Amino acid sequence: MSTLPPEKAVLAPRRSRRSERRATAVDSGVHYPRWFWPSFATPGILWLILFFLLPLYTVLSVAFGTVDPIFRSPLPVYQPWWWTTSHVAEGLGKATGLFRHVYARTFVYVFIASAICLVIGYAVAYYVARHAGRRKTLLLVLLISPFWISYLMRMLAWVNLLQQDGYVNRILTFLHVVPEPVGWLEGRPITVILGLVYGYIPYMILPLYGFLDRIEPNLLEAGRDLGGSPRSTFLRVTLPLSRPAILAGLVIVSLPMFGDYFTNTMLSGSPSTTMIGNLIDDSISSTGQGPEAAVLILILMIMLLIPIWYYLRSTARAAEAR
Amino acid sequence: MRPHPRQRYTRRDFLQRSAASAIALPSLAAIVAACTKPGEENVTGQNLLTPRPDRPVTLPMEIDPIATDTPIEQDAELVLFNWDAYVWKPIVRRFIEKFADYNPSFTAVTTFNNMDEAVAKMQAGQIEADVFFPTIDVVPKLAISGLLQPLNHDLIPNMEENVWPQYQNPYYDQGWRYTVPYVVYTTGVAYRRDVVSDDEIFGMDNPWEILWDPRFENRAGVYDSYRDTIQTALLKRGITDLNTDRQEDLDIARDELLAMIDAVNPRATVNGAYKRLPQDEFDVHLAWSGDIAAGWGYVPEYTRDYYENLGYWFPEDRVGPIDNDCIAIPANAPHPRLAHEFINFMLGYKNAMDNFSWVGYQPPQNETDPGSLTTTEGLYSLQSGWAEPAEYVLPWMEAAVVRESDFDVGYRQAPLTAEVDDRWHDVWQQFKAGVNAST
Repeated sequence: MSTLPPEKAVLAPRRSRRSERRATAVDSGVHYPRWFWPSFATPGILWLILFFLLPLYTVLSVAFGTVDPIFRSPLPVYQPWWWTTSHVAEGLGKATGLFRHVYARTFVYVFIASAICLVIGYAVAYYVARHAGRRKTLLLVLLISPFWISYLMRMLAWVNLLQQDGYVNRILTFLHVVPEPVGWLEGRPITVILGLVYGYIPYMILPLYGFLDRIEPNLLEAGRDLGGSPRSTFLRVTLPLSRPAILAGLVIVSLPMFGDYFTNTMLSGSPSTTMIGNLIDDSISSTGQGPEAAVLILILMIMLLIPIWYYLRSTARAAEAR
Repeated sequence: MRPHPRQRYTRRDFLQRSAASAIALPSLAAIVAACTKPGEENVTGQNLLTPRPDRPVTLPMEIDPIATDTPIEQDAELVLFNWDAYVWKPIVRRFIEKFADYNPSFTAVTTFNNMDEAVAKMQAGQIEADVFFPTIDVVPKLAISGLLQPLNHDLIPNMEENVWPQYQNPYYDQGWRYTVPYVVYTTGVAYRRDVVSDDEIFGMDNPWEILWDPRFENRAGVYDSYRDTIQTALLKRGITDLNTDRQEDLDIARDELLAMIDAVNPRATVNGAYKRLPQDEFDVHLAWSGDIAAGWGYVPEYTRDYYENLGYWFPEDRVGPIDNDCIAIPANAPHPRLAHEFINFMLGYKNAMDNFSWVGYQPPQNETDPGSLTTTEGLYSLQSGWAEPAEYVLPWMEAAVVRESDFDVGYRQAPLTAEVDDRWHDVWQQFKAGVNAST
């Protein structure tokens, strides 16, 4: 039985599906104009336009632009019809030629550092989520506490700790772990990798903790009831369930690691440990190299789309499966 | 009703259209301006931008210097735009006290990490400083672009009275229209004498090679400065044109720098010579003479025993890289008269030498006896009750003392053309990327 008022009922045959939906909303006593729900996205869209699309277009304009004839500072060209491809071609040529070692090195460093972050971060997050008991809050605060100090200050502290006569070497030599002080700051890849791990591991722990904490204890009990040992319950229940969190953690730590330049600058400074971020930083601070820096940024962005795409695809599949 | 032709525009129409024009005309101008491709302006006076000792330039003056009778600004805050640790603050405080009648307020020092960054900030108008400390290579472009103001010579009498005669007419700024010299320095090799003896390095056929010596693997450093590091590779191979535009020379420099990575895994630093070598992080490091002269202030313990670990090599015949930095006044300086006074103050003999005692970089003062620098204690050392005495230049680092005659035989860095500069950057980029290093 129609509940439409008589004057509207005559229009019913010509109604579109959208009108029907609106009518249903009216029926339920709430009327939302068409723009109401989409308008909630406005702040996010504005944010994206102002702080992502415009800066990205500026980077594009620098990459396809030119340089000031006197000061050699980058001059973005905002009109696409005047874009020049020479810098882009040069940057692409270098990326696949001269700089391929740097890209390979960066991938290796980020891969190892992310793996270490995962191993340590998972153990810590698992302990806090499942076994910390009343100390959970305290441990969480301690985990977040490094964020209270800037990354710069934390790295400067490590520079002091890792010096030839720093506390790290004093402790290691005192415990006879090493016979003599190690030159941690002498341009060693291991120092850079451990620096990356230190800098980004909280970003791994927090999402893992958030997910592990939400796993239903009933599921784990069911696993054990079905005869699973603690190890097999972990491997067959907990680990598969935490896969989305592992992926999220890996994406969150590896993306900024790819662009990181500060860790290497502070803890090494050697050309043999240069990462992509250092190349970009060097180009930005060199006269006449601005467009090349922009090209390197674009190449890095495109490369990072791959893990992001994989993450989105995996989470979408997981959502479908549920 | 259609209006009469003479009354076609009502008052409302007029206001509306005026408003529209007010918006549209500047927009149109902006569109027209936008239709001019950036970077296509003519670059006039390319030679002005690339002066050489044998091709000196007189920089154009679009505006006059401030008048001699310009009053000293009252209640001014003197802002210095300078490298970090490149002026001793007690000297600046002394200046403030001297001009106490004019009540200059707290003096702020804004720093930058490299000259490109400094110039970019000035160009963008982000900095309103009274005094700037540029390197030679940026002086012509800053002056030509109107970012510096010409100096009134009457307000800087110490320049003619105290400063080396050659700086009355420097090649990069004939007639010192925009700049006065701040300090002079040579570029050589700093080394730890507990690892390398003076006899060893001074006895080498080619001491530049010490930076490639595998004995110093992980313990060798160069400056994170493309000109200085590439020139070292050139000098190692006997190429003495530090402004070379020959691609063959640059290829040689690139190969040498890549060989350095293989041999010693060097680190590129900004503080390796004055701070980290004294703290035993390096055994050898490319060094400006001023950096190593100030190095005693960074040793772990302030005793002569530690001071004696620091050494500096520069060719004994003094044929090596030598240069100077400058002081200038930005065009937008809020207190130009006070800035002139500050420059004159810094060129005063006592102030210049006291500043030298902390900064480590030697001022080109007539009254300075180079021979006495290795036997005389500077003010910073005298005031440092916690440290054992140190001379302006430690006695065994005589090579770090700069003499005016050194400029007659030394090699000078000069600005490069854009095209050549790009090729130098290419070499530097390959070195910094460690293109030959294993992952």
